[in-house]
Amino acid sequence: MHLPGGHTLVTALVSGALLGGLFAVTALGLSLALGVMRLINLVHGELVILGAYLGYVLLSELGLDPLVGLLVVAPALALVAYPLHRGLLLPLVGKGQEAPLLTTFGLAVIGQNLFIQLFHADTRSLSRSYATAPIGLGGYEVPAIYAISFAVALVVVGSVHLLVQRTGVGREIRAASEDPGAAAVLGVDIGRVYARTYALGAACAGVGGVLVGLAFAFMPTTGTGYLLTGFAVVVLGGLGSVLGTLIGGIGLGVIESVGGAVFGDGYRDFIGLVVFLAFLALRPQGVLGRAER
Amino acid sequence: MRIGARQVAVVAVLVLLATGCGKDGTSAADSEIVIGASIPLSGPLAGFGSFQRWGYQHAVDQVNQAGGLRVGDSRRNVRLILLDDKTDPNTTSSNTDTLISRNKAAALLGSCTPSLVVAGAVVADRNRVPMVTGCAPLQAFKSVKRWQYVWDVFFDEPDLAEAPFKTLQGAGVRTNNKVAIVHDNGPDGAVVGGQLWPMLAERYGYTVVSKQSFPVDNTQFNSLISNAKATGADVFLIDAVTPQAVTIRKQMASAGYNPQVIVAEKGAEPVQFAQALGNLADGVIVGGYWDSSFPYPGAAQLRQAFERETKQTYSQHIADSYAAAQILLDAIGAAGSTDATKINDAIGRTDKTYVVGPVKFDDQHTSKLPIAELQWQGGQTKVVWPNERKTGNLLFPAS
Repeated sequence: MHLPGGHTLVTALVSGALLGGLFAVTALGLSLALGVMRLINLVHGELVILGAYLGYVLLSELGLDPLVGLLVVAPALALVAYPLHRGLLLPLVGKGQEAPLLTTFGLAVIGQNLFIQLFHADTRSLSRSYATAPIGLGGYEVPAIYAISFAVALVVVGSVHLLVQRTGVGREIRAASEDPGAAAVLGVDIGRVYARTYALGAACAGVGGVLVGLAFAFMPTTGTGYLLTGFAVVVLGGLGSVLGTLIGGIGLGVIESVGGAVFGDGYRDFIGLVVFLAFLALRPQGVLGRAER
Repeated sequence: MRIGARQVAVVAVLVLLATGCGKDGTSAADSEIVIGASIPLSGPLAGFGSFQRWGYQHAVDQVNQAGGLRVGDSRRNVRLILLDDKTDPNTTSSNTDTLISRNKAAALLGSCTPSLVVAGAVVADRNRVPMVTGCAPLQAFKSVKRWQYVWDVFFDEPDLAEAPFKTLQGAGVRTNNKVAIVHDNGPDGAVVGGQLWPMLAERYGYTVVSKQSFPVDNTQFNSLISNAKATGADVFLIDAVTPQAVTIRKQMASAGYNPQVIVAEKGAEPVQFAQALGNLADGVIVGGYWDSSFPYPGAAQLRQAFERETKQTYSQHIADSYAAAQILLDAIGAAGSTDATKINDAIGRTDKTYVVGPVKFDDQHTSKLPIAELQWQGGQTKVVWPNERKTGNLLFPAS
């Protein structure tokens, strides 16, 4: 352990907060699935990486910039996820936690193997000049892709928040989340709401995947790491809370980044998991879990 | 006790089945020789595994196309069974057990990197099944145990660690002589990055201003890079697997850290490194033990065959895997039998120049390959050291 200088510490803080935006987008779908459907979606990491691979295909085959490609990737993921939920997960609603847990685990394994078959097991990355450029923010130099990710996160989280809070679809989602039985009695098609929520979460995961591909490297098995990060973000922010996910993402980004600066990058995940466990023990509902639910 | 017709029929069928199975098994064993390998076809080391698969299969295919392997008085086809160890040593161990016990492999070929190779090698050695491997640096291989049935053809870590310094010295380039080191804490990363580089840097007149390590599954490196940048080191030495090396290079650029020399051992070897990074790969140096320009029999043809069949850029891993398979096949032929002890003795007597150069094992079951230094230039690797093997000049500064 060494105490870094003030400049290094502030740089770590700023870049961690910006990176938190990426964490939030990759975790948002997981939070929606947990909060609305009580579904522990173990295939979430693979949905993230599917987004990264779609971004890769659009870039390498069509020359489409990954950020523009988000407009294709997000709906594509939703189109994949909707029938997946209707066909495989909806029949399991009300039949306990184990069946959907095992189903999503199976889907995750299938997903990883499909990636290997389709894209081989090679390391990939979305190579763009802005993905590796630094930018100055108030005298502190941070990766431009972190700032871009944060901006995308604000748009995505803000849009989903407005959708949930201000639209008819959102009202149904909130109703299904609070009391699915009562919502069904009042005419809400719970199955359709769940499938739409799952598709919405997958779309967000796809957006996160593209950002992951731009900022880092990815391969068929990379999704598992983002599933774990997602759980930490959801616990920090509060189950099912859209704005809480953003706060959780930023919190985790800052904790890991500052922790990495103080203890070394090798301790990032360790520190993140310690905070995750501490929150589970002390405030399991997360930062905004109670306030917004 | 009465025995009815039904019981007799059941016993008869069982006897017939047992006889039939035994006959089939004997027939299969007589007609073909089974060789097995557990290699990383998925996971972080898949970039290596894909080349190993081709190298092993190519050697076996050549033998079969020539009418099979001459063993004693007969020619027998060779069947290669490849299992994916998913870059997990535990899976390598269980795969190796499977290859020996279920697939009845007469001999084995190794995985890649010390942790995977050793995981399989320990099982092979315990079961007294001969194994020839590349892809395991010799110091890490030798440090595990006194091997009886496992043989390693690869480079020696001290040679690899010293090559960047010799390259810079040979090219006569000038830096501020400050070195920053980041390395994973795996077996070879800890040796090369943790021990050898700091020692050699001092010997060559450099000052190590930063030395940091990280777990082999780490995904973010901002703090490491920030610390290295803060030291102003002109020479940045990285020892990491490919996914990490790609992320480190990207994060170096996004942090505005542009050292004059970038060395990325391990991770920068496969072509996937350059494919993932594009122009950012240019200038990155990595140790190598083979290039198709080396004056060894079949070197150029091996590259041509690979690129013709796969339409991909070759990697040096096609050479050590191809050579390992050839050494094993030659030994089986020389043994004139699939008896494990005879094959093992024949491997130990190997004294021949293969596509990777001369191979002759020492008493610790290792045969050393000389090191060259490669540099990515325009999506291709160029040999930039030693001078007698150069195919390009050192790109300096790297970034």
